[in-house]
Amino acid sequence: MWVKDMLDVSGKELRACLQDVGVMVFFIIVPLLYPLLYAYLYSREVVHEVPVVVVDECRSATSREFLRKSDATADLKIISYCADMEEARNLMHRHKAYGLIHIPAEFEKTLASGHQATINLYCDMSGLLYYKAMLSGCTIVSLDMNRDIQMQRLSGMSDWEKDVMTMPIENEYVTMFNPANGFQAFLIPAILILLLQQTLVLGVAMLAGTEAERRRAGTLILGHEYDNPITVLGGKAMAYLLVYGFTATYVLCFVPWLFGMPQLWQLPTLVAFVIPFLLSSIFFAMCISFFVRDRESCFLLFVFVSVPLIFMSGISWPSSNMPAFWKVLAQIFPSTHGINGFARINTSGALLQDVRIESLSLWVLTGIYFMLSLFIYERMYRSDKMPGAEFVIAMRTRARRNIRVAARAGQELIETTQRIQKVRRYRKEKGKNGN
Amino acid sequence: MSGTKQGFWAIARREIVRMQSRPLYGLSMIFAPLFCFLFFTTLMGEGLPQSLPAGVVDEDNTTVSRSILRNLDSYQQTEIIKQYSNFAEAREALQKNEIYGFFYIPKGTQEKASSQQQPKISIYTNGTYLIPSSLLYRDMKTMAVMASAAVGREILYAKGANLDQAMGFLQPIQMDMHPLGNPWLNYNVYLTNTLLPAVLALMILMVTCFSIHTELKDGTAAEWMSIAHDNVFKAVSAKLFPQTMMFSLMALIYLILLYGWLGFPHNNGFWPMFIAAELLILASQGFAVFMAAAIPSLRWSLSLCTLWGVLSIPISGFSFPVMGMPPALQALSYMFPLRYYFLIYVDQALNGVSLVYSAWFYVALILFTILPLIDIHMLRKAAHEYTYLE
Repeated sequence: MWVKDMLDVSGKELRACLQDVGVMVFFIIVPLLYPLLYAYLYSREVVHEVPVVVVDECRSATSREFLRKSDATADLKIISYCADMEEARNLMHRHKAYGLIHIPAEFEKTLASGHQATINLYCDMSGLLYYKAMLSGCTIVSLDMNRDIQMQRLSGMSDWEKDVMTMPIENEYVTMFNPANGFQAFLIPAILILLLQQTLVLGVAMLAGTEAERRRAGTLILGHEYDNPITVLGGKAMAYLLVYGFTATYVLCFVPWLFGMPQLWQLPTLVAFVIPFLLSSIFFAMCISFFVRDRESCFLLFVFVSVPLIFMSGISWPSSNMPAFWKVLAQIFPSTHGINGFARINTSGALLQDVRIESLSLWVLTGIYFMLSLFIYERMYRSDKMPGAEFVIAMRTRARRNIRVAARAGQELIETTQRIQKVRRYRKEKGKNGN
Repeated sequence: MSGTKQGFWAIARREIVRMQSRPLYGLSMIFAPLFCFLFFTTLMGEGLPQSLPAGVVDEDNTTVSRSILRNLDSYQQTEIIKQYSNFAEAREALQKNEIYGFFYIPKGTQEKASSQQQPKISIYTNGTYLIPSSLLYRDMKTMAVMASAAVGREILYAKGANLDQAMGFLQPIQMDMHPLGNPWLNYNVYLTNTLLPAVLALMILMVTCFSIHTELKDGTAAEWMSIAHDNVFKAVSAKLFPQTMMFSLMALIYLILLYGWLGFPHNNGFWPMFIAAELLILASQGFAVFMAAAIPSLRWSLSLCTLWGVLSIPISGFSFPVMGMPPALQALSYMFPLRYYFLIYVDQALNGVSLVYSAWFYVALILFTILPLIDIHMLRKAAHEYTYLE
């Protein structure tokens, strides 16, 4: 009965997971804590009150009004009024301030003569958010003051001229699906999905590493007693899916809720999307795990990939502007489709038909990685299924051990010979010197 | 004296053999950094994204609305790929990720504008994709303001005002923005300058920790210590020396790539950044040795090193500023070598300020390097006890 076999394998694999602290760290502890840390890190969404310094060479009522109003915006905070540019620059160099507002001496005079007066803004570019805060803060103030100035000037004019001056066409800005237009709502969904894929890969690889270490020591791999490789791989996948059912619920539903992030998903869509994502990640992880030789090497080889993967998804740098090669490479990772689909389901309330391309891609990846893992599994562990496999493995292990012993003995022999030769040479030289 | 020197080189030579014996080292010390160097610099090769796909809903369909659209398309960063017949359709395209934003011009815009009723045009962007969203917003906002000003300007021209007078009237106060060090708002400059050393530092943390602990795991630690005449300083420094050299080569490659090939700002020249990169390597190695010695289990110390390496990327503050983080994390950011490297980069490469201002950041990296002095003796103990146990 293949169903019973599959459940059997599933149970065994689940037990192996639960007994392995290292695997549980990846499957439970990392997904439990890591998202909290990240969401907390970006919990303020944007930067407020960016410290700026001021050089007011004009010292007029208008310049003071501009500065007072800038200081009052949520974006900026004036920390010091400097006597000259030198002093202001010094504060910026010491990272006390990230922007500099310079009002030239002729500011008020230019304004009074009806010309365009300029205010110079200097911005530290170590973070684009400083630039954004400074630009938006000062723009709001200048638009506000421009309107006031226009009104004052128009006080003696006709109504017709006033109409011209009031903004003929207004505009409004709506940043959809990200009310604060901040980092948390934008980056966290991507990190959550990537986290699921990466912990799966690391955990499954660690399990496989343990098995590989044991196999070298003479134990047969899990599931060797079953004829059908599909039951073995399917059973394992079921075990991981069971664990990740809980993990994914926590990571994708609870964490965003805890931090009050936008959650516009509809349950059927979310479930129908997350299942192919998890399945493709599981079989992707299995494919990789076949090449793992020991428990820890997966750390070195797969953690760093997270950094390019998040960029490959196109959540940060737009995918429309990616070189074609990277765009194609990105398709083979479940995370790329998972991030794009989940970000839109979660943040913009997309339905399954809106993310059907991503969803379909994930099913295709599931199929490909399943076939691939089946193929590799068959090729690699065929010997474990042959009659007398235990005997072969035992012999192989013994042979390996013997080779190691022989090698060590050889090494020792060489070293001893060298030592003897050294002593002989020393004696010879001593004898010569004595003569 | 010659005996001790022999010990150092013997261990270094032994380490090179060990590194060659496993493809893992080659993959993590050479392939991983080089892959990331290539990936990030080519990924953001455009610097500032151009021709971002945007849409438009023109329910007005008049000369005014058409002139707005024509102008918008002439912006370099915006490309109107499609005109949608209504709001719902555009919103759906936004959800399907076909466009990053759209312009909405409601019916009656021209009519209202000419009868002084102040019509409103709207800009919608998909905040899920922050970078294209912000860039599109900038273009669209400028366009909307210009469209509005254009109406007033025409009338002023008709009244006989020249351009200077008209602008003085329409926009009395003007902002002149000077983005220091990166006037092109180049994202490649903004991100890769820290991402590349970040990946390198991550690999250093992991490889250092791994290579020390595999000695314990494989039971070769006692042999390792004995070659160093039981001098743990010599044992560790000699073992890590070939790795330092290899990582230095990687650092040199990315420095040449960034400041030579791509010509990114390096206002104080090559050397301050080279020294910073070298110190980052040593600081990461120091931190990893500290962890490896403090936590006797391969898995746990490697996990912590990995956590540190990965977390250093957001917490160093190059994408989201540290001042915007909760206070507890602001304090924590000082525990990451990459944070100091980033601060040095801002001072020395981006802003080109005097070395005096960055002196403490260099000192901090040196402190990380000598951090193992606290607990390295525990490593010696572990090396011996492990053999005793076997």
